[in-house]
Amino acid sequence: MIYEAFVVGFKEGFKVGLVWLVLYAYLNNNGKNHLIRPFYLGITSIAILSLLSISFPSACITKENLGNIIAASFAVLLISSGFALFHASGVRLFGSLSGIWINEKVIQVIIFIGTLLFFFSDSMGTLVFLQDLSLMKEALLGTFVSSASGLIAALVFFLVVFDRLRPLWIGSFFNVPQLLLFLAMVKLLGGGIKGFAELSLIPAVQRGFMKFAHDLIHQMFVLLMIPDHMLLRTTLWNFIGFFFGPKFSSIVSLLILLVLPMMFIRHSFFNPLPAPEAANPAYKRKIVALLMSDRRKKALPIIVFIILIVFAWFSQGGESVTQLYNPKPKPVIADKGIIMIPVKDPTMDLMDGRLHKFSLTEQGEEIRLIIIRKPDNTISVCLDACEICAPEGYGQQGDHVICIFCNTPIPVRTMGEPGGCNPIPLTAATDEQFVKIELDEILRKWQFVKTGKSKEGIK
Amino acid sequence: MSFIQLTDVIKEYKTAHALRGVSMSVEKGEWVNIMGPSGSGKSTLLNIIGGLDSPNSGEVLIDSLDITRLGEDEMAVFRREKTGFIFQQSHLVPYLNAAENVMLAQYFHSMADSKEAAEALSRVGMGHRLTHKPSQLSGGEQQRVCIARALINNPGILLADEPTGNLDRENTKVILELLSKLHTEEHFTIILVTHDPFVARWGQRVLTMEDGAIIKDESPTAGG
Repeated sequence: MIYEAFVVGFKEGFKVGLVWLVLYAYLNNNGKNHLIRPFYLGITSIAILSLLSISFPSACITKENLGNIIAASFAVLLISSGFALFHASGVRLFGSLSGIWINEKVIQVIIFIGTLLFFFSDSMGTLVFLQDLSLMKEALLGTFVSSASGLIAALVFFLVVFDRLRPLWIGSFFNVPQLLLFLAMVKLLGGGIKGFAELSLIPAVQRGFMKFAHDLIHQMFVLLMIPDHMLLRTTLWNFIGFFFGPKFSSIVSLLILLVLPMMFIRHSFFNPLPAPEAANPAYKRKIVALLMSDRRKKALPIIVFIILIVFAWFSQGGESVTQLYNPKPKPVIADKGIIMIPVKDPTMDLMDGRLHKFSLTEQGEEIRLIIIRKPDNTISVCLDACEICAPEGYGQQGDHVICIFCNTPIPVRTMGEPGGCNPIPLTAATDEQFVKIELDEILRKWQFVKTGKSKEGIK
Repeated sequence: MSFIQLTDVIKEYKTAHALRGVSMSVEKGEWVNIMGPSGSGKSTLLNIIGGLDSPNSGEVLIDSLDITRLGEDEMAVFRREKTGFIFQQSHLVPYLNAAENVMLAQYFHSMADSKEAAEALSRVGMGHRLTHKPSQLSGGEQQRVCIARALINNPGILLADEPTGNLDRENTKVILELLSKLHTEEHFTIILVTHDPFVARWGQRVLTMEDGAIIKDESPTAGG
């Protein structure tokens, strides 16, 4: 038994079971049990597609693409739940499209396509992960059997729970907005495609939001101080790091993520209720009380989601961002104006995908360089500094380098692109043996960083 | 089918037969008084109609619903929504004021509404005593608060067990006039238990009970 494969299989099975249980309970609560059939059809289709994809691998099914689909699914579900909430609270965003919801055939198609979109990326991502794992463990059959065991164990667990407890009452806690938010939360907390390294999407979402928060704050600074304000430029810019520090930006990012769930809570507890038509005040009061009770009941899953998000955020997200791989720079010297760094020597391999740092000393001053292999197998050479922050350099976390000063995550694939908080790129000639960098270019660009003029752009 | 229909209702306690096969019917909006000596089964009959007690056998149909077949929760809903009670003692919560006592009934029914509670108290002539505690009210005023409390949830049936038993003749008349006025305006059904012939003259019918059975069903000799 390969434990990691079993757990990943169990996790995926648990997601399917949980979504099935909530969806079935919701449909049952609304007297629409038969609408669960497209869900079964969707799951069966995914199983067939997954088996086909093993037999006929496709070039477009890459980890990156699948990761992007999962992240996009989360975003789409989250935003859709917001639209649905507005719709439920009386704002007819789609006008006459509202009537579409009462057409059962349309709902069946939506459930089927939704099931495909929701689980396809998870299923394919798991298969890609299992393929990698099986190569690492050198046990193809064992890996897939362990994973299938986990999947079956999770499904059996749900069947037993359903059989013994018949928890159909949970359906009364959900309406369409809550259901969509629930699915978004399953995506968020249900993890990505890197097995144990990504048991939830929290770190990835956090990186995304932190980048957003960073850009927002940075642009605000730029707007406030263009051109560099005489009084502020030497002071505020040096404090900008505070806003991008792990604690501040993590909390800002969390607040951004919680905006929608908090809107649900506001709607549930504070939005005025429509005045009901009733024969007498007591009956009217009863209807209002029932509506309020129903609203509060349906706020319960949202409160649970908020607690889960906050717990997950602080238990794994914030911590993981600060755990950076930050190697000690190796000293290098220039020979006739050229720095030559071997691609591979007994102590290092520039093609290993990890961050490599080098330092050279010019007039008693240390200048650091970073080199990393990009996903397209080209080598990127940059200064260990960006145009806008104090030059504290970068650390690596997975497929991102993180600015140590402002905590901004930069995807490795975008290394070499100038501007913003990206490392300042250097022109380098690379062959099979050496990476060659011109000293003049390093010194010229370093001069901009040293004097703070890099914020205006490096010419 | 009458609004309230009892058929062969028997209620026995360990040592006594409280009701011996009582059958009766009351139309919607009718005011029926039940008279009889102590121990004749009047209160037992009232409690069975109101769902406070259950018979050993027989059928109790209220608005076509056999309440003897209801479970505990359903019975609670029936009492909450279909009936209003007034007793000889006011049973007002002593540390709540008049309006809060009425709002308490609203709360258990659905939700409290202070404006509606104030209006209900005004209808029984207690609009100027909203913030008074029961101890600051006279017996007649307390009973008027009880009427407002009993009717606040629009019950359909008002069950009154000796509602004027503790009042002097003048206050008794005030309460009965108030009940008569509300009955005319709101058309709810009243079943009132009394042993006072003066009280029994109000309303449309008088049932006389003796030893667990209805022995007489007649119109009152004179109205208030």
